[in-house]
Amino acid sequence: MNLKFMSPLASNRELTLINMLGVLIISIFAGFLGALTGLGGGSIMIPVLVAFDIPVKYAIAASMVTIVATSSGSAASYVRERITNVKAAFYLEMFTITGAIIGATITSFIAPRYLYFFFAAFLLTSFYGLSGHMKEEFPGETRQDRFSRWLQLEGSYYDQAARKEVEYKMTNAHLGGLGMFIAGLAAGMLGIGAGAFKVSVHELILKMPSKVSSTTSNFIIGITALAGASVYFASGLIFVGLAAPMAVGTTVGALVGGRILNRFHNRVIRYLFLVIVFALIVQMLYKGITLQ
Amino acid sequence: MSKNPSEEKLDLLISYILIVGVIASVLIEATGIFEYYYAHRDLDIVFKQEFALKGTDFFSYAAQTIQALFVGKWTPVTVLAFGLVLLLITPYVRVLASVVYFGLVRNVKYLSITLFVLVILTASLILH
Repeated sequence: MNLKFMSPLASNRELTLINMLGVLIISIFAGFLGALTGLGGGSIMIPVLVAFDIPVKYAIAASMVTIVATSSGSAASYVRERITNVKAAFYLEMFTITGAIIGATITSFIAPRYLYFFFAAFLLTSFYGLSGHMKEEFPGETRQDRFSRWLQLEGSYYDQAARKEVEYKMTNAHLGGLGMFIAGLAAGMLGIGAGAFKVSVHELILKMPSKVSSTTSNFIIGITALAGASVYFASGLIFVGLAAPMAVGTTVGALVGGRILNRFHNRVIRYLFLVIVFALIVQMLYKGITLQ
Repeated sequence: MSKNPSEEKLDLLISYILIVGVIASVLIEATGIFEYYYAHRDLDIVFKQEFALKGTDFFSYAAQTIQALFVGKWTPVTVLAFGLVLLLITPYVRVLASVVYFGLVRNVKYLSITLFVLVILTASLILH
């Protein structure tokens, strides 16, 4: 029986250094951390897969499909617990799917080397965006603008860690839409779901509370990923042997991560987020620089 | 400021669609991985075109995959592909259900928003 993590025929150019079982096991961990931080399992998996010499475009395409599973799996429980703001998600999805289709089309044609640097640069922006706001648990009183009020961008949820009902109002819906278009563009192009950037836009521009931000981001990521995956489907870049174990693993990991998210304080989640983003940036820069 | 009962129904509907779609697709994919192993005696990832999701458009590909399963012309790769197709269809169905919901409650504002998302997604899945 050949149930090793590494393929014995890795020297064959059509095979990989890692097999489905290896991808499955790593994906479980990636899905868990991805759900907890709102990053999504895909953004953690791509740097890991390229470390095993999987072509970056195949990794991105498989990740795009995987993200649908991660997002939908964890979003299901958040929506039922009413932490996700579904209306805000519907509004913001208009921008992310448009961006994702354009971004995925760019990736289908661009030279792979650029993708590593775009990946690292994009993650760097979200790392910077959140690092200066580590002390904010909730956004506090927000003066809602007219457009956001018209869109009914407001809500409430019960925060288990803080043991209170949190009411909030969002603002800057027009700028939030623009930010989400850029998030969608990056998501489609890099196959990462762009959870990090979406969370930044939600919290810094729209003024969502942290948990509403990460769960609404999870919800939006599924549709954004579908839009990107539709382009990769057309390009023939989605391989079942890679996408299927990734989808199974990240979904299992994300379901576990989603179940325990509400037991953590926002600050703990944010520190975890920062550590992971930093590690991903280092890996992608290294790979981009050393690529032959 | 709490959500009204009608919106809670939408939340529940969306939640069920997502969870059923994801669980079904994950179980099918897991089955596909087992079948792949018993057919090939390995779990190698192969990058050949016959192992890729590819077709004239997504809906035709989905129909062909489902048809292959029903007439018994399936392979482990077909099973894996069917799991992925089901997974990709899940958020699409969630948008479709939201359009129907906002149409039924006559919320023109959010009917327009969800309809926009549905049209763009459909076009992207059909056009190449």
